Amino acid sequence: MTAPGRPPGPETRRRSPVAAVAANIALVVYFAFSLLPIAFIIALSLKADRDQTTTYLWFSPTFDNYRTVLGLDGGGSSYVRFFLASLTTSVGAVLVSLVIGIPAAYAAARWRFKGSDNLMFTLLSFRFAPELLVIIPLAVIYRQLGLYDTAVGMIWVLQLVTMPLVVWILRSFFADFPVELEEAALLDGYSRRRVFVKVVLPLVRPGIAAVSLLAFIFAWNNFIFPFTLTSSNAQTVTVSSLAYLGGNLVRFNLVAAGAVMAALPPLVLALFIQRYLVRGLSFGAVKG
Amino acid sequence: MSVTTPSEVDRAEPPARPPSGPEGRRPTVSRRRRRLRPYILAVPAVLLCVGILYPFFVGVSYTVFNFSAANPNPAFVGLRNFAEITTSAPFWNSVRVTGSFALTATAVETVLGVGVALLLYRGGILGRILERALIVPLMVAPILAAIMWKLLLLPEVGWVRPILEGLGVTGYTGTDSPLWAFLWSVVVDAWIYTPFVAIIALAGLRSLPASPFEAAAVDGAGWWFTFRRLTLPMLWPYVFVAVIFRLMDSLKMFDIIFGLTTGGPGDSTTTLQINAYLESISYARYSRGITYMVVLWAAVYLISMILVGYLRRLQNRTAGEAA
Amino acid sequence: MASVEVRGLRKRYGRTTALDDVSFEVADGEFFCLLGPSGAGKTTTLKTLAGLVEPDAGEVVIDGLPSNDVEPTHRGLAMCFESYALYPQLDVYGNLASPLRSPLFRLPASEVDAKVRAVAGTLGIDGLLERPVTRLSNGQRQRVALGRVLVRPARAYLLDEPLAHLDAKIRASMRAELKTISRDLGTTTVYVTHDYVEALSLADRIGVIRDGRILQAGTPEEVWARPVDAFVARAFGKPRMTLVGGGLTDSADGPAFVSDDGALRLPLPPVDAAPGEAVQVGVRPRDLRLRLGADEVPEGWSAVEGRVWVLEHLGRATEVTVAVGAARLAVVAPRAAVAGLTTDDRVSLLIRPSTVHVFATGDEGKRVSP
Repeated sequence: MTAPGRPPGPETRRRSPVAAVAANIALVVYFAFSLLPIAFIIALSLKADRDQTTTYLWFSPTFDNYRTVLGLDGGGSSYVRFFLASLTTSVGAVLVSLVIGIPAAYAAARWRFKGSDNLMFTLLSFRFAPELLVIIPLAVIYRQLGLYDTAVGMIWVLQLVTMPLVVWILRSFFADFPVELEEAALLDGYSRRRVFVKVVLPLVRPGIAAVSLLAFIFAWNNFIFPFTLTSSNAQTVTVSSLAYLGGNLVRFNLVAAGAVMAALPPLVLALFIQRYLVRGLSFGAVKG
Repeated sequence: MSVTTPSEVDRAEPPARPPSGPEGRRPTVSRRRRRLRPYILAVPAVLLCVGILYPFFVGVSYTVFNFSAANPNPAFVGLRNFAEITTSAPFWNSVRVTGSFALTATAVETVLGVGVALLLYRGGILGRILERALIVPLMVAPILAAIMWKLLLLPEVGWVRPILEGLGVTGYTGTDSPLWAFLWSVVVDAWIYTPFVAIIALAGLRSLPASPFEAAAVDGAGWWFTFRRLTLPMLWPYVFVAVIFRLMDSLKMFDIIFGLTTGGPGDSTTTLQINAYLESISYARYSRGITYMVVLWAAVYLISMILVGYLRRLQNRTAGEAA
Repeated sequence: MASVEVRGLRKRYGRTTALDDVSFEVADGEFFCLLGPSGAGKTTTLKTLAGLVEPDAGEVVIDGLPSNDVEPTHRGLAMCFESYALYPQLDVYGNLASPLRSPLFRLPASEVDAKVRAVAGTLGIDGLLERPVTRLSNGQRQRVALGRVLVRPARAYLLDEPLAHLDAKIRASMRAELKTISRDLGTTTVYVTHDYVEALSLADRIGVIRDGRILQAGTPEEVWARPVDAFVARAFGKPRMTLVGGGLTDSADGPAFVSDDGALRLPLPPVDAAPGEAVQVGVRPRDLRLRLGADEVPEGWSAVEGRVWVLEHLGRATEVTVAVGAARLAVVAPRAAVAGLTTDDRVSLLIRPSTVHVFATGDEGKRVSP
């Protein structure tokens, strides 16, 4: 087997076919492990009540569970409200992070000013700090300030999730941006603000979009903050997924339907960020 | 593309001869204002950090009081909270659970992730198709993944029991036994985060320079030798970044365990953050809960310092070798 | 046009000193060349002039006005970057028009169009105006970068190694074009390069810079004939001047040079050093002549014996390196003259002592000959 140096080409065909088969089998096994649970939950969400415990894949699918969870069958449900709350807080958190983070990331990339390292490090520490460390005092503070169970309160605390991502990744994008393009525009006669808007932004825009989507995904998927700092008003859809698990008669198919709908937006958005994924996931530490 | 000869230049209209300097004003910007520019841009971010750090410091201050629902006006107790937890069995149990969870999960994900990356790197049609699906588990919210696996592990509803029994495994207990509750938690964590390691390792593999490998092939090096001496060492700095992220994240594990077992059965999967949650929110013993968190945070801080320092040395070394 | 001057520029990046007391002036309309090896501080100087780099100390004076606090946008300087810095999202027309459309000039569209087409015509890129800049060859991109400089009025042009990344053939023709354009426009120009041929052919004055210091600033004749130290002497000429170490002695006919191994002896005109001092001498290859056969040694010349070390045939001429003891002296001779010569043959060289440069020892040994 030739060493992995370049994408395998014709010269690697002399590798033993046994190894190739074994590798393919291993891949299939892993991806079965990876994707079957998803197939399971989708199947479960489409099962009628009596099919839950009796069949595996041999059943006639029904959308009744989705109707129930969404409250479309007349039973009423807050699911849509929670879904919209997730949307509001996630979008809001990302917007706030962008407004605050883009200038900070640009400044940190272009100028090594005193305290820029401290700022970056503090933001990184937000990413790795245990959430309850902040939640416990915040629960008290929020109640005092009337921010408990509000969208604003959630948007603020979600900055712990979105800000480090936005600033660290955008800083690496801005640092990679050729500074001479900005210098040429300055000498052409544009002010620094116009240079940023006219020259830098258009070229960094795809990166900013990808970071926004990634930050949205992480904000949406967050559980612990809405779980502890909201109750019924601003509760998000990830928290509500636990709701159907309680009670006397647990209806697994409803749980499944709720979970599938809650997991859908991030999965759809993930399609758009494939290109910037590596840099996004590693906070700019690895150039993808 | 034609090049104008000197004679053509003379005859043609010369480019606009610059007048004596662009008749422009020359406004000045003081040096101090120029120096302030980056600070002005960063001010909102700094304010936000201060805003976040405020509750953090308030929280740390709780540790030296006995703040709880029973004591809404707490008294100063010095370091008693810290002394208490060091002698409390639940605390040490959480430490044990957290540590073993973090190490086990990170190790499993790293090995599996690098393996998947190597398999995908080989290319081939199957690899190229499947690579698109690599990211899927990573995008599922951990709590949702926990719920999904919880259902998957149910004897009556889920698929795990029949698959295991089909493979000849008997005595299925799901998450009812302490050992298996722990192990299944590790499985769920690995299910979500192996793609994380794989994606980063794959990017690393693809960015490795070709020449050392070509030289090794010309010298007749075998697969194992190349892998051990070339691939792994060159890949390690990338993989280590993923390891740091996973280790730090799994030390504060909450979502998965809360969704899967809520810390049980008993306290066999009660990590430090789960314990802190129970103390603070369920039992409303805020000070005790925060004390757990401060200890965890200190540990995470120290470990991350060490790991990042090691990463820097790694990156400097490979940069030096590449130069 | 304007005069441009820098005084005492200093700049450090961490522990590296980029500029260490750089000072020079460029008169109105003068073509000034900053010549030096990479890392010497040429680009940093240019960017400091433009206001893109903030010096730790020193002044930038443009047209008599201290301009340290003037923003780059308002200094009225146009710069051509070594990396060209073309806007990738615009086509050639957009790049050329960019300065004219900026808030600084804000010309009406018709004027913009006229000026852009005029510059494009001069530089021979008028057929490329619709092309996106990402699909241009290196030579074409260089012309667009230059066009963006020439299209707008400026107090001075700053050109950073504009020809560095071009093929050798294009470089020679672009050099000729630049010379013509600058002669026609008469604009103050500061031109940065590491290539001494460009400097000698284009500049009115040359500043030799090394490690952030200006070693010598003078006309091409001055830096060629009277280099101020050994480094400047070796910066010009190909093959480079060989320096031979040795000592100064007193002989019956006046001061003389004896190389360290005693193989090379030369009489010298009076120099600014005492007998017994260690010095190094250098002769430009074109000041040497190969002595054929037992020809008479002409008046004012000295003969030096040696052996052929290396013969490099370069077309009609041959570069002969002659070993005189441990020293290796290079001389260029017509091919016919060296027919029959092989390595290790005994030859002699003719040197005129008046063309010998004498320096103190060291990389930057100061000049001691008159």
